Amino acid sequence: MTKLIIELTINGKKKKVETTPSTRLLDLIRDDLHLTGTKEGCGKGECGACTVIMNGELVASCLVLAPQADGAVITTIEGVGDDKGLDPVQEAFIESGAIQCGFCTPGMILAAKKMLEENLHPTEEEIKRGISGNLCRCTGYQKIFDAIRLAADRLSSRDGGRGEEDA
Amino acid sequence: MKKRGRGIATIMFGFGYGEGFPDHSIASAEVEDEGKILIRTAAADVGQGVLTVITQIAAEVLKVKPEVIRIIPGDTHLTKNSGSSSATRQTFFTGNAVKKASEGLLSNIYHYASIEFRSNYVELGIKDGYIFRNDNPNNKISYWELAKRVKEKGDCLKAEASFFPHTDKPDPKTGQGEKVYVAYTFVTQVVEVEVDTDTGIVQVLNVYTTADIGKAVNPKNVEGQIEGGTVQGIGMALMEEQVVKEGITLNPDLTGYLIPTSMDTPLFTTRIVENEDSEGPFGAKGIGEPATIATAPAIANAIYDATGARICDLPITPEKILKALKEKRGDCKE
Repeated sequence: MTKLIIELTINGKKKKVETTPSTRLLDLIRDDLHLTGTKEGCGKGECGACTVIMNGELVASCLVLAPQADGAVITTIEGVGDDKGLDPVQEAFIESGAIQCGFCTPGMILAAKKMLEENLHPTEEEIKRGISGNLCRCTGYQKIFDAIRLAADRLSSRDGGRGEEDA
Repeated sequence: MKKRGRGIATIMFGFGYGEGFPDHSIASAEVEDEGKILIRTAAADVGQGVLTVITQIAAEVLKVKPEVIRIIPGDTHLTKNSGSSSATRQTFFTGNAVKKASEGLLSNIYHYASIEFRSNYVELGIKDGYIFRNDNPNNKISYWELAKRVKEKGDCLKAEASFFPHTDKPDPKTGQGEKVYVAYTFVTQVVEVEVDTDTGIVQVLNVYTTADIGKAVNPKNVEGQIEGGTVQGIGMALMEEQVVKEGITLNPDLTGYLIPTSMDTPLFTTRIVENEDSEGPFGAKGIGEPATIATAPAIANAIYDATGARICDLPITPEKILKALKEKRGDCKE
């Protein structure tokens, strides 16, 4: 098997990793970089459990080949929040009871973060649509909507309602 | 044309294994170092929240803050059998086992403290992990100081308990028995749907649920179980169908086997009825499976109300609705 070396920035850190042309980004993240917060659900881009943010876009990491991520900037769930504390979206998920088994949660939180980065004042319909690529079998989604609404309210009051990108 | 309708369904669900099986759960509680109380249970938390529930129960009985409770869950070297996380049984069975173990520990705390204080237990008070004589509350001993003194005497401040209720095997002919299940959960749902009579697509708009679960130990968890169960019920009613041909599943993926997404979620209105009528911990009963059952019949009734089409096999797909409307079928006779 051909080996190749790719460079990527993951959660703010530059990494050089040896991989193969047929390795999935999901496996690179989980097995080579040991970031196991990203989950494999269906393995064919249907469930959203393996969602990561790559170059500013939500991607199903099971459908991205590792060499395609050469030079990319990637955020996984481990890059959300820091040592000082959780991200407001994570806090809102906990407070709202939006987590049951937790398997969809990393993907849900990344999808919610991305949605709120683009739109700090989403309507109920926009919230539903924003996470429609992420399946959840436990919660019935209602408490996830509640959590995103709570996070949106907090984030928009924190930045004075201007909806800044870095809010 | 879009037509709206409402349907109702009521279910009762006997939980636990019942039927004379030796269903039970074992738990223990002990005062351990560094200001913690350790609960051991093999109950698996698969997201339904049993560890939250037993943390609350232990904290309530032992009169400490929930942060004080530490749990060792599901380790075969360190815990004893708690039975499976199935049959809607963990809150009832392990909740009771933890309650009894915590009560056992509390009794031991009173016992050893009465020796320390040279007093009778009825003269002792307990608050926030301290025990004291009511006539001199300032002279108090923490559970952990007491545990140290008990240990010096060669004993240990802990208790183990099991909850092992009796059930009867039902009569094979009539299906009846004196007590076939430990208790029953009751759920009624009213569902409001909108049916597009051109496409056959059903949108569930509102779901109103009342559930008699005895006592909601954690109301937010109960709501989460009801909402999640209902959305699974919506999947069962409208879309989920495993297609098997000659032993091969033809739709083994989420493109061919649809489950509800966020776009299929209705608005929920949920009322919890706390009719403490069972031996459950603080009167609590199970809600896991009962949350799923009423939804499909209520949806079928709502579709009938909206369109006059009575469809009796699940899932009620758009094709079935269109066919029934075309044939103006009002009952289940094929």
